[in-house]
Amino acid sequence: MLDISTWFNDLLAGNVIFTADTLGYYWEGLVTTTQLVFLSLIAGLILAVPLAIMRSSKHKWISLPVYFYTYVFRGTPLLIQLYIIYYGVVFIDGIQESFLWPVLREAFYPALIAFTLNTAAYTTEIFRGAIKSTAQGEIEAARAYGMSQNLMMRRIILPSAFRRALPAYGNEVIFMLHASAIASVVTLMDLTGAARFVYARYYAPFEAFLFVAAIYLCLTFAILFFFRYLEKKLLAHLRPQDA
Amino acid sequence: MAATPTPLEVRNIKKRFGDTEVLKGLSLQAQKGDVITLIGASGSGKSTFLRCMNLLEQPDDGDLIVHGEPIRFKTTKHGREPEDWKQVVQMRAKLSMVFQSFNLWAHMTLLENIIEAPIHVLKKPKKEALEHAHALLDRVGLTARANAYPAQMSGGQQQRGAIARALAMDPEVMLFDEPTSALDPELVGDVLKVMHGLAEEGRTMVVVTHEMGFARDVSSQVIYLHQGLVEEAGPPDQVLGNPQSPRLQQFLAPKY
Repeated sequence: MLDISTWFNDLLAGNVIFTADTLGYYWEGLVTTTQLVFLSLIAGLILAVPLAIMRSSKHKWISLPVYFYTYVFRGTPLLIQLYIIYYGVVFIDGIQESFLWPVLREAFYPALIAFTLNTAAYTTEIFRGAIKSTAQGEIEAARAYGMSQNLMMRRIILPSAFRRALPAYGNEVIFMLHASAIASVVTLMDLTGAARFVYARYYAPFEAFLFVAAIYLCLTFAILFFFRYLEKKLLAHLRPQDA
Repeated sequence: MAATPTPLEVRNIKKRFGDTEVLKGLSLQAQKGDVITLIGASGSGKSTFLRCMNLLEQPDDGDLIVHGEPIRFKTTKHGREPEDWKQVVQMRAKLSMVFQSFNLWAHMTLLENIIEAPIHVLKKPKKEALEHAHALLDRVGLTARANAYPAQMSGGQQQRGAIARALAMDPEVMLFDEPTSALDPELVGDVLKVMHGLAEEGRTMVVVTHEMGFARDVSSQVIYLHQGLVEEAGPPDQVLGNPQSPRLQQFLAPKY
């Protein structure tokens, strides 16, 4: 017993992670990452619903601009999008005098904007695929029962499409969590930013990055768990028999 | 008789898909309580004709009069289409359709399927819709399956559920598009029994079917279609009992 406790104390004595100081950095990074990912997912989701409906429109002049948007944002690296927004925004005429400047000057908001536009593009395409795959017979039934286009969208197509999109959207959420690591390159102290800081300060690459990897793993696990719960609740109709 | 308008009248319906003219001028009049069955070989146009009655297909020509109200059409560069879609939506709420492949909304339970259109299209209060739905479930023998999803039910249960959904609209006319064709033989009987009951209580129905026994027992009129035209029409004992045209004779003859 004594041996083990001395061994454990020795181990902790040399460690740089489990000190109030370092854990504080990680905690702040965790808060920043969570805020960034959560807010951009919410905003992206709100944007994606109308965009997906427009993208599914049979009128070309409605669907094409949305397609152009999703094509550009899915066709370029998120890091480049972040650079363009973070570094490019300075060059907009008059931006430094406008009321937006105190907000845009911070790294957080350009990152939030880039992540929102990026996830909105992917989510739009996920929803659009789900809308397109709505069973034709169910649409026909909705029409035959006197539903208007809007009512049918609201009551039949979207509720069934959202359910079908759930597994793919869960992946998009995990992807966004991991993509958020690049926010650290524009000086944002997110989880990865905190890990880089700890690494630089103590020159302890394994400890610094393994610890942050463990945190990402825990977050991913929580997301997976949440989506599994949602699927269980909302996709009951796809299971042949109640278990 | 003049006091109640004819529930459904169609005159001279024509429809073409590309180069093929599938309906070459078909008419039909369903008085209150009529059960009209449309029979004919595959490709004779009977399903298309039925789908023209609630404008799931747009007829290229002809009139559609529901409950005495003619549907107004206009001609655009895409062809003929209804002038006022609001009128179509109101018209459809008076005719409810039962499909070959049931077409229940998969993400809703059976009960939710039944109350959906009454609440959101007819604007019925939820309580009233629920009471009506439970009565209908009892009638089609599915009280125990109220909270099941369509994928959890057999074909026969789904089709009886779909009939309950149609009845929940208190329709003027019920349109049946081959309601038993997708069912296993042993499940057909349950569905036909429900339809039989509907005919007996005086529902106005237009039924596309291959079930000759059903056509014989319950129809007030049988229409035999061939290549988009009415070949023979009349009461069932005349059309089915004493067919005149060789084609109908052959259609009705035992196949084995």
